[in-house]
Amino acid sequence: MEPLPSLPSSNGTPEPAAGPEPDSPSTSAPTNPSAIGPRGFGLLPLDRRTRSLVTALVTLLLAIAWAGTGYRYEPYVEALPKLSGDVPANDRSLKPLASRLTRRARDLNARLKATAPRGMYIVIDQTQNRLYLKRNDETLLQAVCSAGSGMVLKESGGKKREWVFDSPRGRFEVLSMLRNPVWRKPDWAFVEESQPIPKNPTERLDYGSLGEYALYFGNGYMIHGTLYERLLGRAVSHGCIRVGRDDLREVWAHANVGTPIFIY
Amino acid sequence: MTRRRARCGWGLAMVAVGVLAAACTRAPATQKSTDLRTEVARLQRTSALLQRQIELASEKEFYLVIDPAASAVSLMLRGAELQRYPVLGLQIGHSRVSWVGRHDPRPWQGTIWSNGELNPPRQIDRLVIQAAPPGKDVAEPEPAEIPPTAEELYPVPMRYHIRFAGGLSLEIRPREADANAGRWARLWASWSAKWRDVAAAILTRDRDVVRLRMAMNPKDAESLYRSLPPAVRLIVLAGGADANADSK
Repeated sequence: MEPLPSLPSSNGTPEPAAGPEPDSPSTSAPTNPSAIGPRGFGLLPLDRRTRSLVTALVTLLLAIAWAGTGYRYEPYVEALPKLSGDVPANDRSLKPLASRLTRRARDLNARLKATAPRGMYIVIDQTQNRLYLKRNDETLLQAVCSAGSGMVLKESGGKKREWVFDSPRGRFEVLSMLRNPVWRKPDWAFVEESQPIPKNPTERLDYGSLGEYALYFGNGYMIHGTLYERLLGRAVSHGCIRVGRDDLREVWAHANVGTPIFIY
Repeated sequence: MTRRRARCGWGLAMVAVGVLAAACTRAPATQKSTDLRTEVARLQRTSALLQRQIELASEKEFYLVIDPAASAVSLMLRGAELQRYPVLGLQIGHSRVSWVGRHDPRPWQGTIWSNGELNPPRQIDRLVIQAAPPGKDVAEPEPAEIPPTAEELYPVPMRYHIRFAGGLSLEIRPREADANAGRWARLWASWSAKWRDVAAAILTRDRDVVRLRMAMNPKDAESLYRSLPPAVRLIVLAGGADANADSK
């Protein structure tokens, strides 16, 4: 509270105001509250400048920690091989060991090569709808095909069956090769069309829809031709692998019964 | 005094020459022994790798073989190479938190890793059709839509992993290998990858013990993402161009 203005004395000069004495304890504290600032963590009062410094320091430390967190990558460098097992210390014993290991490596190499298919084999990428005809390490043909659509068909009445139209994955073999194949339509082909399932077997036969050739590889799956070549490259089949006419001729010319088929 | 010093100096010099001569005569034998031990170690490693590849070829699962010497990764089944992709670069990554590294001492090279799955996974939307019962009046069927191609159906993310059980993952970044990608696209890819790496390094659940970062041609990286079979296995060969080249 500010002292009251002094009243002039009888001689005209103002008397000093009867306020607090100078340099007393009560006068040492500043009167502007904003100059104090909040207390830091209840320990020390922090002014604005100190707060800014602390904030900047913490941010910097966090940024440094962030920069050093994650994964540190180094170029791949071949590691030096280390001896394993009981290895003799002297050279005289090392040389025969090296010879034995060389022979073993050669044998293992031969065994590994024997696992690879010899001669012709077919590789099918069912996601990208591509068929490859290979011989050893050479690719003779790369064809566009159509693999299973992945669609699920549910039967309403009857047995309420369900079919999933995926192409299988794994290793198969050509079990039989058919020229001008006739399709014996399974139940799902009628269910899909909402048609009654025929009791007469001849009513299931469909001529021409499988193209000129078919390579059967088991469980009802075939590599065959198609009437819908414009849909090649898209997953539209019911699980079989559809191939265009020209490419199918090429596959037919090179494959035999027993030719491996790999589908992934 | 000077003569004495001179004699001492000559004596020391002669001793030094004698020691040097002895070391030189011994060095070739030591070198030969070291070469032989290295050769034995290399043969042991080669045999172990071949044995594991035979084991993978005898099983029914698909597997990837990364061959650093040939700079290629192959998708294989029963010993047959189904697809081969060139690898433009290979880096090894270890996690660290606040500059403190977390190295796992377990060997990752030459080890068979299993149950590899894509992350993020390929989204497969199956069309489900409830067939109408036969004999009911079925409305004129609408013309069937032409289904999309694989490229339209499965967009490939900027960065993806193939994570294996046990903590190894392959990181493939297709766009970084493409020098024609825009500066901002690359910057954004690096920025978002950094944040994911920070989260993965801190959170134990997502932390990869070892990351192999493969740089590939974008088309190859996209093809691998779209075609990778589920639960794939992996082996990383350890170099040694003679054994690995012969095994193909």
